[in-house]
Amino acid sequence: MSERSIIQDRERVEALLRKRVRERRSELLRKSGARAAFFVLLILVWQGLAAAGLWSELLFPHPRQVLDSLVVTFGDGSMPLAMLASIRRLAIGYSLSLLIGIPLGLLLGRIKLLDNTLGTMALGLQALPSICWMPLAVLWFGLSEVSMQFVVVMGAVMAIILAVRDGVKNIPRLYIRASRVLGATGWKGYLYVILPASMPALLTGARLGWSFAWRALMAAELIYVGSGLGSTLMMGRELHDMPLVIATMIVIVVIGLLADRLLFGTLEKRLHRRWGVSGG
Amino acid sequence: MPKVLLDNVSKLFLSDSGPLQVLSNVTLPIEEGEFLCVLGASGCGKSTLLNLVAGLEKPDHGRVLVGGKEVSGPGPDRVVMFQEAALFPWLTAVQNVAFGLKMAGVGRRERQERAMELLSLVKLSSFANSWIHELSGGMRQRVALAAALALDPEILLMDEPFAALDAQTRDQLHVEIESIWEQTGKTIIFVTHNVREAVRLGTRVLLMSPRSGGICREYPINLPRHRHLEDVELVKIASVLRDDLRDEMRGSGVADV
Ligand SMILES: Nc1ncnc2c1ncn2[C@@H]1O[C@H](COP(=O)(O)OP(=O)(O)O)[C@@H](O)[C@H]1O
Ligand SMILES: [Mg+2]
Repeated sequence: MSERSIIQDRERVEALLRKRVRERRSELLRKSGARAAFFVLLILVWQGLAAAGLWSELLFPHPRQVLDSLVVTFGDGSMPLAMLASIRRLAIGYSLSLLIGIPLGLLLGRIKLLDNTLGTMALGLQALPSICWMPLAVLWFGLSEVSMQFVVVMGAVMAIILAVRDGVKNIPRLYIRASRVLGATGWKGYLYVILPASMPALLTGARLGWSFAWRALMAAELIYVGSGLGSTLMMGRELHDMPLVIATMIVIVVIGLLADRLLFGTLEKRLHRRWGVSGG
Repeated sequence: MPKVLLDNVSKLFLSDSGPLQVLSNVTLPIEEGEFLCVLGASGCGKSTLLNLVAGLEKPDHGRVLVGGKEVSGPGPDRVVMFQEAALFPWLTAVQNVAFGLKMAGVGRRERQERAMELLSLVKLSSFANSWIHELSGGMRQRVALAAALALDPEILLMDEPFAALDAQTRDQLHVEIESIWEQTGKTIIFVTHNVREAVRLGTRVLLMSPRSGGICREYPINLPRHRHLEDVELVKIASVLRDDLRDEMRGSGVADV
């Protein structure tokens, strides 16, 4: 190929790349545009319904009132304080769940006896909605922080154990065989093959565990009146402060979404590409 | 004493449709430095034979001896190269090549050096830091070959390693594996279902048949080295083998090659 045609080729490739980038950008723009338009519409409908005065303002507040409530509670620090209390509990309970769930899941995936015993139990307990642990927790630990963290752990740990176990069981046989051939046996096999090979499953487990933990915590906080977003929600109810109730619900949704999409979503996408898992 | 000896080996699998006798009373000596090609239709037990030597499977009856000692599991003296490159996606190409050395406790500096040497042997130096999903099928098999060579095994077990590659890439890899064999004098057991590939590479070709539960015929190949798949002599021998393979499969209920 002559030098000239190489240069032409490169220009063509660059033009093609530029076009690709432009197309992707406009597609993204269209997507997020549609999304934004939908939410604007939703708020407009809400606004319209509230203005029509079909229901009492006490039960069906204006979007404006909810916004005010957000501004006020963020301004006086009560909302950030509640958020902090909830997130702190979650951080402790969720970390404990990961600390217990991941090693157990890894073991269950490899050891049949453990799977048949502990695995079956985890599967059974998984069927129990986490808030059902609350009465037991209250009797054991009283109405305390420990009780709530206990509920969070029980809510998240089963899902984590089971997801990690399934991931380990589905590690391609080829990896296991190759690792045996190359001398990765015993703890080396666990550390250098089983653990990295089950990273996608680990992340799935962590993501699932996170959403279970978040739900469990909110349920527990609704019962245990003290601090936290759940308690703020209950306070709103008791004060008949509907804007506060909706504002708190929005905060809860946003925290849940941020963690799920931004944190876990990004990690998962990256991991799946490298691990060659399709459909990531 | 042969380097590898299958001594009256039988292997049985219990499948859903009942027991399946894959190998029955197979006795097979393999000399040091041999390039043994094992030929047969799919499902006739080629991989099973290889896995027995690798120590990934245990015989139900008989013994597998390597260097006079009974095989009890995988070992660094026998490395398998699988049909699909068995590379770990969480490691780069060079890390994959160095993996066996790492498991053997070789220091970081030394294994990095050794892995880079091997990558340059398979002509992939510039892809050392690529992730596995960024490599083509042929490149992956090259990395897998380098990874298998890293432990410097006396015996290389290759299970249809080039079956999924295009003809051109396969030709290149034939040249490379042949030159590695000539330079190192390793004992190679090479499984394939491609008749001409077997004749191209082997010092001896074994024909396996599902009917007889093991090896049914063997052919020493005395053609001069650096053969080509199109050599007249090679094609002639291959066509004899192909006819024999057909004969073996007739009536055995296995699909034609
Ligand atoms: N672990 C196993 N369990 C049950 N059947 C098996 C197992 N491994 C292999 N087989 C069966 O044994 C036969 C021979 O398999 P294999 O050695 O892989 O054949 P080849 O490599 O020649 O295609 C096949 O019919 C296969 O289904
Ligand atoms: Mg096979």
